Amino acid sequence: MKSEENPFGDLLQDYIVECLPLAEQVGDAFVELERRWRAGEPGEELLASVKGRLHTIKGNSAMMGLTPIRDVAHALEDACGFLGRFPASRGDDAAALLVAGGGLLVDLVGNASPETDGGPAADFVERVRSFLGVAPEAAAPERDRRQGDRRSRPSSGDADAASNVVRIDFRRLDAMLEVLGEGLIQHSALVDVYRRLLRRVGASEELGELDLTVLSLQKTLTRLESTLMETRLLPVSTVFGRFPRMVRDVAHAEGKKVRLEVTGGDTSLDKAVLDRLSEPLLHLLSNSVAHGLELPEDRVKAGKPAEGLLRLQAAAVSGRVAIRVSDDGRGLDEAAIRAKAEALGVDTRTADTAQLHDLVFVAGLSTADRVTTLSGRGMGLDVVANVIHALGGTIEVESRPGKGTGFTLSLPVTLAIVRSLIVEVDRERYAVPLSHVAETVRAEPEAIRQINNQGVTQWRGDIIHVADAGAVLGTQEPSQAPRPFYVVMTAGAKRRGLLVDRLIGHQDIVVKGLDPALGRPAVVSGTTILGDGRVACILDVVRILDGAGHAN
Amino acid sequence: MPTDERSAVEPLLGFADALPAAASADASAPATMLHLLTFALDREEFGIPVTQVREVIRVNGITRVPQVPAHVRGVTNLRGRILAVVEIRTRLGLAEAVVTPTSRIVVVEVRGRALGLLVDRVSQVTKVPVESVAPPPEEVVTAETDFLTGVARWDSRLIMLLDLDKVLLLNA
Repeated sequence: MKSEENPFGDLLQDYIVECLPLAEQVGDAFVELERRWRAGEPGEELLASVKGRLHTIKGNSAMMGLTPIRDVAHALEDACGFLGRFPASRGDDAAALLVAGGGLLVDLVGNASPETDGGPAADFVERVRSFLGVAPEAAAPERDRRQGDRRSRPSSGDADAASNVVRIDFRRLDAMLEVLGEGLIQHSALVDVYRRLLRRVGASEELGELDLTVLSLQKTLTRLESTLMETRLLPVSTVFGRFPRMVRDVAHAEGKKVRLEVTGGDTSLDKAVLDRLSEPLLHLLSNSVAHGLELPEDRVKAGKPAEGLLRLQAAAVSGRVAIRVSDDGRGLDEAAIRAKAEALGVDTRTADTAQLHDLVFVAGLSTADRVTTLSGRGMGLDVVANVIHALGGTIEVESRPGKGTGFTLSLPVTLAIVRSLIVEVDRERYAVPLSHVAETVRAEPEAIRQINNQGVTQWRGDIIHVADAGAVLGTQEPSQAPRPFYVVMTAGAKRRGLLVDRLIGHQDIVVKGLDPALGRPAVVSGTTILGDGRVACILDVVRILDGAGHAN
Repeated sequence: MPTDERSAVEPLLGFADALPAAASADASAPATMLHLLTFALDREEFGIPVTQVREVIRVNGITRVPQVPAHVRGVTNLRGRILAVVEIRTRLGLAEAVVTPTSRIVVVEVRGRALGLLVDRVSQVTKVPVESVAPPPEEVVTAETDFLTGVARWDSRLIMLLDLDKVLLLNA
């Protein structure tokens, strides 16, 4: 963070990296414990599971001199021990105490600094003491003794596994990726030279060897790439971990009863994707709690269980990751969407149900009714959709009145290296991410008809629009020969053909950002460097399918 | 090549420091020199402080980027990094550049960011005395005078001193 000025900055960063997930797990366990106690289940193993984590947090905090955090962890440890021994003291009060402490712990660890205000921590420790009925003076000496005991305890079996784990700054992985990218570019350059040489001097034994060497270099680079990509992957549970407590908080505030069911937490995503996914997911979840799920009494009246079911599911689906947030609530209010759309001047008379539902992602439509603020962080569904699109993903909604609403996200596993189709349009080359390419087709002039100035063709039995890439990119020259190919691009349910001059081939490209001087071109999501050293723009298929283009 | 020249010259002055000095300079004061990288656009010579120049590179393919602000020519590959290239000619009201073998990209640093300027020809690194700099002539009101901090008349040359910050404020 501030490692330049603060010699402890790196240490503090390490501390947060190690302890924040532990604190979050503790917080989640308390939320779950509260739910179980309410349902009349004991939850013994949860109480036991948090102890080790609290102990680690306590030890690390003490080492860093973060006394307030150490005290909170210690107080929670005491409370858990007490509740383990005296089941009769479990109940709403105890649960509220633990949940509050878990939340405080996450806040304190996440914002850990030597200047941390000890006030909230001291207040909480006091609360725990009065709950346990222990006088402050009496507790102190015993606490010190126990701390000494535990420190001398032999390390557990976890230590062996831990010794094989190295923490690494994510920026180093980015730097490695840059180097790999250069390697990939140099490989393409070698292939180029080889081909030219072959044309010039014809086949020979030496050239054959060169070909083989270049081929094995490619295999090596591919292996390096997949190893590096694996290193960048993290289970989605690292982000999901924060949600149970947040959902609980929103449910409390809204007077809802909610059970959050999380599956597929071990599904992996690039950390760069994950980092940007947390906010939109959080919004979808709190949105479901606040607006999707009904109040307990309304649910009972509708013949549903009082406790609403909120599902968060993740799964790997054909090279991408699908994440679904669904509830068994009342479903989207179609009449309200229609009314608001009409008020904004959108004609919904011909819209079918799916089109109507898609309107929730339109700015202005999503904000009024469907937005909720979670500790001041409000985000419209249109913003959620924008974030997902920016990640190269898609979002779809489906809903049935009285049955519930589901949002399905489809995301690329990584943003760093993207397998792409390289095409040429008006002598410039562009990369189209293969995940958005359904097919490349030779464009027979008679097969494409013009309807309302738009090209239309039949593709796999459907009618699809075919746009001229030159028109979309603003490079079109007058009196141009018809382009011989089109690429069928897809994103979610949308598809469209894009007419191009040449298909160059498939290539793994290393995604580079756009210089701020370039503004925010809608049809381009980034740049990359091709084998010949030239820069190529990466087409933003999602936005092109949404109608972005030079003409618009 | 320009990098070497740059390291050879002694500590350099930016325009901001030099211009007030020029106003107050009298004949007895030792001459303060401005170190300029000069380049040509059409037949005119322009200068920018070498302190703002990182390097000069040959034009090796500029890729057009759709929907960019006016005066952005495109992007180029600067040793694995993507460099935005500004069409400084159109910015100054001249016709769009035609890339020739003498064309160069002057990589400058403005507010911590690297940007490329596409120029017709790079002349050299020049020292001119601060006293030789006059305000831009008011009678010549063209698009470009807005982007000048002054005009240096030195050694029978006329060098227009560009205000890079203004020229490269592309969204303004």
